[in-house]
Amino acid sequence: MKRVLIIALLALEAVAAHAQSVASTSAGIVVAHNNVIELQGGWSVPGPRNPGAIIAGESRVAVLDPIANEARIVELETGRVTRIETAETPIDGLFIGRDLYVIARDARLLQRFGADGTKTSVETAADPAFLREAAGRIYVYARVGGVLHEVDAARMRITRQTNIAPFATDLELDERNAYLVYARAAKMRVIELASMKPGEEIEVGAVPVDIAFVKGATLTSARTLAVADPSAKRVWLVEGVQSLTQAAMRGFFRGLLGLGVFSGGSSQFPTGVDRVFVRGDNRIAYDSSTGTLYRFTKSRGTPIAKEVGPHAFALTPDGGLVWWDDAVRRLQKFAD
Amino acid sequence: MKRALALAMLMTTAVFAQSTRVASDFEIAQMQKQLAQSHDFNSQLSGHLNLGDLRSTRNEPSLASGEYRTALTIATNERLAARRASNMERYAYATSYAALANAKLGRAGDALSLSDEALRYVSDSAKTWNLRANAMTELRMPKKAAGAARNAVAIAIAETAKSPTVANEIDLAIYRYSLAIAIVDTPERRESERLLAEIITTLRGSKFDALRKEIARGESFEIYSTARGEADAYNSLLNRSQLLLASLYEERGDVTAARGVYRDVLAARGDDANALAALARLASARDDRDRYFVEAFDANPFSIELIREFQKAKRAASADESTTGSRVRKALLAMQRGEHRAARTTLDSLVRDFPNNDVVQYLAAMNDAALGDVDRARSRTIHLSELRSEVNRRIAAAEEPAPAFLRSGSSATPTAKELRTLIAMFAQNRLTPEQRATLDKVTLTNVASFDAPTPGAPGTTVFAGGMIEGVPFTFSEPTAFQGTLTSPLRLTYRLLGATQKDGADALLLEPLKVEAAR
Repeated sequence: MKRVLIIALLALEAVAAHAQSVASTSAGIVVAHNNVIELQGGWSVPGPRNPGAIIAGESRVAVLDPIANEARIVELETGRVTRIETAETPIDGLFIGRDLYVIARDARLLQRFGADGTKTSVETAADPAFLREAAGRIYVYARVGGVLHEVDAARMRITRQTNIAPFATDLELDERNAYLVYARAAKMRVIELASMKPGEEIEVGAVPVDIAFVKGATLTSARTLAVADPSAKRVWLVEGVQSLTQAAMRGFFRGLLGLGVFSGGSSQFPTGVDRVFVRGDNRIAYDSSTGTLYRFTKSRGTPIAKEVGPHAFALTPDGGLVWWDDAVRRLQKFAD
Repeated sequence: MKRALALAMLMTTAVFAQSTRVASDFEIAQMQKQLAQSHDFNSQLSGHLNLGDLRSTRNEPSLASGEYRTALTIATNERLAARRASNMERYAYATSYAALANAKLGRAGDALSLSDEALRYVSDSAKTWNLRANAMTELRMPKKAAGAARNAVAIAIAETAKSPTVANEIDLAIYRYSLAIAIVDTPERRESERLLAEIITTLRGSKFDALRKEIARGESFEIYSTARGEADAYNSLLNRSQLLLASLYEERGDVTAARGVYRDVLAARGDDANALAALARLASARDDRDRYFVEAFDANPFSIELIREFQKAKRAASADESTTGSRVRKALLAMQRGEHRAARTTLDSLVRDFPNNDVVQYLAAMNDAALGDVDRARSRTIHLSELRSEVNRRIAAAEEPAPAFLRSGSSATPTAKELRTLIAMFAQNRLTPEQRATLDKVTLTNVASFDAPTPGAPGTTVFAGGMIEGVPFTFSEPTAFQGTLTSPLRLTYRLLGATQKDGADALLLEPLKVEAAR
């Protein structure tokens, strides 16, 4: 009774702050901003008020709105848009074929929105934070629950799950392993997907928070991962799981190379970087505290843009980088 | 994150947010002193957040926004400083508070995004999840708030099981309170009630004997939304939990239980505005009600909820000008009696003393409109949208042209809008002598719903008032009609003036005839 009346009074000011999201798709760059979704040089359709992650599929793209609990799915070819309601707080997703899979953090659900209009879901442990796909199976890591769920995407049921250390800050998968990085422990933990059992623990830097695959394994080395460490103000290059042969040939030595530091010891990332993205030879690091994008190589890190939103940039297949510049309301491009 | 560094965040539910004592003057002074003396991040941040919340409870939104903006700037600077210093825990902590400050400013996107950023680093921190829950509650997103609060509670239960210290117990109780608030307006409200009862039982348990002694020794009594230290956290949490639990009892009709808990609140703090207002609302004896109203207005004269409660009925009490609360009551009583010029004098002096208070400005504007001074009503600065809309509606009514039958003088069946316009014209004293003469002659007819008849002579039905087209009316005195009559009836009447009925504007009628409604 009284409560309802007062709730309205408390709204001090409603500021229409628009987020922006950018994704590289097979049809080109898609941008969600100011209540529209646009394919650069193509269609423009009504978008959500608070665009979060953009999920790109082969023929469709989905823009999530974690505040309004909805997604707009757009056909890349025609621009036909469908609005769907999700469970509470959709934060990430992926397409398998034309079906959209979304994790809803506060509902603790993985949802599937079939291209035929069907909607199904499976419950997860507390705080489903990361969603990845490998070999037709979906893996959901529940961060507070400390559970890695393996989900049969076609049947939408949990096939296996394992209790692992909670509170990881990122998850990546390759065909054999899941890599979880833990900021507080300064470790990367590896789960072997075949057995869903914990494997190696790899010590990484000071506060590692984000990982990306850099290159595949060779005869003498395991695959390499880039790890953003904002405390060390470096991007580490670290080798993943080594086979026995690789380990023997390397004398059990695991390489750990820190990038982004001048020879004098001062960092090229003044406030550190906490996200890392790799596409081919194109390596980008991002500082969430200032919204600064850096391009980095083994020898140097170069700032490219500032005050870029956390979802407002994407790497392109041609080795470029695009980002939304909200000051001029325009997509900017960086290329060598 | 340890308590020594932490601020125990306590959300105010909307019920309580509106009315804290003008004794909030004391808390405001304490916070201003804290800001002047302590320049560390925690002191500055909690000082500005508390000031914002205190201003908000007093319906001073522009001042509240200013405090929240300052808190946001402090948190943003701290984020960058922490990043430069490579201290990621400090960064996450500052980022959580930047999220909360954004939420208090109504910026949902920024609040959610910053809260996500903080959780990347410290998702194992119950405090960080709790701050997210607080931010989501501020933004009226109960499901998001509940999701975050459940994570905070789960983490804190594990921590408390490992280390059952008083500090951890208080933290757990705070997180349970956040969960209770998050779900209080959802179908899970029974869980909310259970949680609150559990919190109160825990806080009253023997585990807190030493803390209670310390509180008694230090004579601590302040209630803050961002509390520092265990004593402030204990007092604030017990106060807020009891108030919320009592309001739940009240809403489900258990008045006895509600009164009991409100009295428990007053036992710890005799000038708690929310408890006093509630007890005025629930009082069955007039003397008790009047006493609680006086104390509640003294505690928070700017509570719109209290004012609306006061306006629900015609009050016979008088008020002097000894306190701000009594000045507000004096203005309200004058407005109720139609003494709008006297009310203006009181309200103008209140506006001079509290120029940034939206409730004072609102009352002054409503009174201006009643006086027909729509330009002045329009010029009042009111930020709160609900109050502004109400004033605009009153201005629109005041600007309505006179009904056509006032020109023609012929009998009519007035519409609800015409009846309301007539009430406004009477209240604003803007009927011309010609219009008054016409009104004396013209007969009006409407279908009326009557209030339950009062006992009268056999074969008669006695009515005192009722409703026409949703507009309340009353007769100058209860009137007996021949026959046993059942409402609704067709009533022919003359319009004598405007009055108040149960605190609402009403028509004063002279009945001429009733007949069956066709």
